[in-house]
Amino acid sequence: MSAAVTEPPASLAEDSPRGIDWSLVLRQITGIMRLELRRNLFSRRAFALYFLAFSPLPFFMLWAIMARREITYHEFDIEGPAQAVAGPFTFTFVLYVGSMLFLSALITFMSLYRTEILERSLHYYYLTPVRRWVLVVGKYCSALIASCTVFAVATAALFFLTCIPWGFGEMNRYLFSGPGLGNLVAYLGIAVLGCVGYGAVFLLVGLFFRNAIAPAALIWGWEAINFLLPPLLQKISVIHYLKALFPIPPSETFVAVITNPTSPWISVPGLLIFTALVLAFAGWRARHMEISYGGE
Amino acid sequence: MAVEEKNAIVFDNVSKFYGEVLGINRVTLTFEPGITGLVGPNGSGKTTLMNLMTGLLHPTQGEIRVLGESPDHPERLFSRLGYCTQFDSFPAGMNGYQFIYSFLRVHGFTASEAKKLSWQALERVGLEGAAKRRVAGYSKGMRQRVRLAQAISHGPRVLVLDEPLNGLDPMARAEVIEVFQALAEAGCHLIISSHILHEVDMISDRVVLLSSGYVVAEGEIGGVRSETMEEHPIQVLIRCDKPSLVASRLFEQDHVVEATLHDDHGGLEVRTRDADRFYTLLGEVVLAEEVKIETVTVADADVRAVYEYLIGNEGEGR
Ligand SMILES: Nc1ncnc2c1ncn2[C@@H]1O[C@H](COP(=O)(O)OP(=O)(O)O)[C@@H](O)[C@H]1O
Ligand SMILES: [Mg+2]
Repeated sequence: MSAAVTEPPASLAEDSPRGIDWSLVLRQITGIMRLELRRNLFSRRAFALYFLAFSPLPFFMLWAIMARREITYHEFDIEGPAQAVAGPFTFTFVLYVGSMLFLSALITFMSLYRTEILERSLHYYYLTPVRRWVLVVGKYCSALIASCTVFAVATAALFFLTCIPWGFGEMNRYLFSGPGLGNLVAYLGIAVLGCVGYGAVFLLVGLFFRNAIAPAALIWGWEAINFLLPPLLQKISVIHYLKALFPIPPSETFVAVITNPTSPWISVPGLLIFTALVLAFAGWRARHMEISYGGE
Repeated sequence: MAVEEKNAIVFDNVSKFYGEVLGINRVTLTFEPGITGLVGPNGSGKTTLMNLMTGLLHPTQGEIRVLGESPDHPERLFSRLGYCTQFDSFPAGMNGYQFIYSFLRVHGFTASEAKKLSWQALERVGLEGAAKRRVAGYSKGMRQRVRLAQAISHGPRVLVLDEPLNGLDPMARAEVIEVFQALAEAGCHLIISSHILHEVDMISDRVVLLSSGYVVAEGEIGGVRSETMEEHPIQVLIRCDKPSLVASRLFEQDHVVEATLHDDHGGLEVRTRDADRFYTLLGEVVLAEEVKIETVTVADADVRAVYEYLIGNEGEGR
């Protein structure tokens, strides 16, 4: 044991009382993400993320192969076979986002605070010179990066799986001469924005509730009946904004989910504003939250 | 006052309730530079007080100022303050070095600074050798020390330590106390809690005694001791095999006010004004005369609380 006393290095100049030292905040967020990315990509929680994102893959494959056998040009009366799949894909993708991505966001983002409270390790963060909202942002970003990466890869995989059975020639035509590429970009956008929106919502939920089931069911129900609600209430949901991004409105498929699709130019900023509001609320909550781990 | 406040931790009429449960009540206190011992039996509000001054809890009522700042501003507080909590838990899957290093990075230190500071802190608590082992495999004492290292790693001016000696063996305890003293000599302010007065009175400049959420005494260690002892001489009941011998040896001391033998010659009752010296002495007598002790308890229930925070309630041989 040494008796020498250390002075902290100069790099951690005390955050000035009023203004924010943004380079310090950036270093802090990096520090938070170092810890959190590891948790979100290589832990038990991460297993749920991978499982939920990729488990539908075999079913898609099976379905695509069967569809290849059954669907004929005339039945669908569309230009090409790959496009014949595009409609059903949209429908399936709505379900995918509504179940797999929803659940995954629930587990990943709700765990950000919940797990640390259960494991009694949140105070280590709370005892660093990090503003509470910076911690919210750091945790949110790391979970977002993990979720978006995994779901973008999974979405692309799903998309190609449904195309491949039609042969590469047909796929090429759909992708590069037809609307295929645009559709793919749209689906990737939906996956990413789904993570953005649901992530913020469940981060917030994790700051309020110990038990996930009741709030999750409530939110799921709210999202499901969203299209029945008055326009103002519709805006307080994630699915409302995602719906507008579907290249082929799901209403033209099997279920009439969409009533009044808005333009992506409105819905993307809309979702981002919605997310920012939710995160601001989460930051406020994090600041006022106490750490007592439910009694000693 | 304003200048002093910049250097102190001030509680102004602070209360904290957990729903209906009282944590602390109407505490008005100033923690000045130096080493302050915060002593009280379990449940007396030590942890509550410390969590309040570090912003982990918010007061139900009253105001707190830490070095002139509200504890609501972590960004200003924790570059100067370190808190080693009572929670014996860690983020999953890290070794000792990673644990300290990771949170230094969260502080905002660069990689090389964080590395240097981590090793310094580990060295300071004598854990360099175990740094690359998983914290999950540490003994209780090692966990205690690595948490201490984490709390001092960023070089804070004020250190808040909740029962830091708990779970340490005598060797580690002496080493850790040495660290505290070195930190204090270097100008650190330390607030150290314990449910055993004995543990902290040697190193504290000042002691605050808590009981059931109230501050019952505060001040220089001698003053606190006599204040409480004059009011509450302790009556201790000892069951042992040589009561009259014990009584005669104990009675040689001036702090022992009264000693009564039990009728069955299987024990005695002692009243003393200095619990610390009494227990030290009792330990010596027991060893020297090879007395077999059956039980040592406080006879008077009313002074039980005082007894507990003065002597501790873990049956440590004193
Ligand atoms: N999270 C909590 N919820 C309810 N009561 C609590 C909580 N934490 C502490 N208490 C109560 O507050 C009182 C003081 O506890 P604490 O500050 O932990 O004392 P100490 O650290 O001195 O043992 C006790 O009566 C305890 O039961
Ligand atoms: Mg305690």
